[in-house]
Amino acid sequence: MTVLLDETPGTHPTINLCSGSSFCMLNRDTLLSSAIAMLITLVIGLAVAYRLRTGPPGKLQMVFELLLSYVRNMVRDTVAEDAAFIVPIAATIGFFILVANWIDFFPLQQPVEPANADLNLTAAMALVVILVVQWYSVHVLGWRGYLHRFTKPFEMNLFVRTVFVPLNVIEELVKPVTLSLRLFGNIFAGVVMVFLLGQLFATGSALLSHAAFGTFGLILLVVWKAFDVFFVGSIQAFIFMLLTIIYFGMAREGLEEEGHGKAAVAHAEA
Amino acid sequence: MNHAIAVAGALIGAGFALGGGAIGAAIGDGLAGNATISGVARQPEAQGRLQTIMFLIIGLVEAMYFINLALGFYFITSVANGVK
Repeated sequence: MTVLLDETPGTHPTINLCSGSSFCMLNRDTLLSSAIAMLITLVIGLAVAYRLRTGPPGKLQMVFELLLSYVRNMVRDTVAEDAAFIVPIAATIGFFILVANWIDFFPLQQPVEPANADLNLTAAMALVVILVVQWYSVHVLGWRGYLHRFTKPFEMNLFVRTVFVPLNVIEELVKPVTLSLRLFGNIFAGVVMVFLLGQLFATGSALLSHAAFGTFGLILLVVWKAFDVFFVGSIQAFIFMLLTIIYFGMAREGLEEEGHGKAAVAHAEA
Repeated sequence: MNHAIAVAGALIGAGFALGGGAIGAAIGDGLAGNATISGVARQPEAQGRLQTIMFLIIGLVEAMYFINLALGFYFITSVANGVK
């Protein structure tokens, strides 16, 4: 059966740029598959952009308008009215992850593995998101407000808030870790399951020498693959996008409270 | 001998981790489904919106289990390859 992977998942063929250090090794399969996903994303995006019409839209344009307006409304609700720069970031990341997960449906052999089954790619995306979030927090709140945000339960007294500082620092540090591990874990678990199912039915059909095992395994594999790619893959892409937007919303914490406080005081004085 | 013990320990540990993770994910899924059902029973017209949120929560909950599975596989293979 050809569904059997020849290597255990989690091992990547590497390109070594400088000998020795593991910091300049590139994972060949991840580079290839993410390049394919990027190419598809770019082609679809540019195709929609070049055929934009103000009249009755085409099918692809309609889908894109629907998704983009959904993202735009979500950004407006969770972050702010004037935070429109988040829409392209979140939508691009979501769409790229979706494409990268969906091309996983084709039986990819070793040189091209699912891109998100490599922690390096998801960690890179999560790191970029969190760095932009930190920048946005400083930009909106100022350095004072940014540091003030780490004393989070704002309504407590000073002592309790100093106790909470380490917790808030840990929460901020854990964000990129969970963001990257969630996506990586889901996609990598899919690869592991395909590997284990293939192995199970290969050994089963070899032991009992019955072709039905192979067929049954193939059907089970296709079912699992469809569930894994189209259900888990879509949901994880959506969750990554949603959490990006939510983290941007959390970066403004403290601003609303202060505004409310001032407004309430002004209201009381008036 | 050491290798065999290490691999056996890794397999048992991974089994425990997967079992515990499955219990947690099942409880989380059940809670999400329970809340959705009571929400739909109270307001049948909100079913579409509630279902989207339910699948979102299920995705978040099951992510923990899948992280367990993936990292467990990693640890097993690294123990099996690393300890001699």
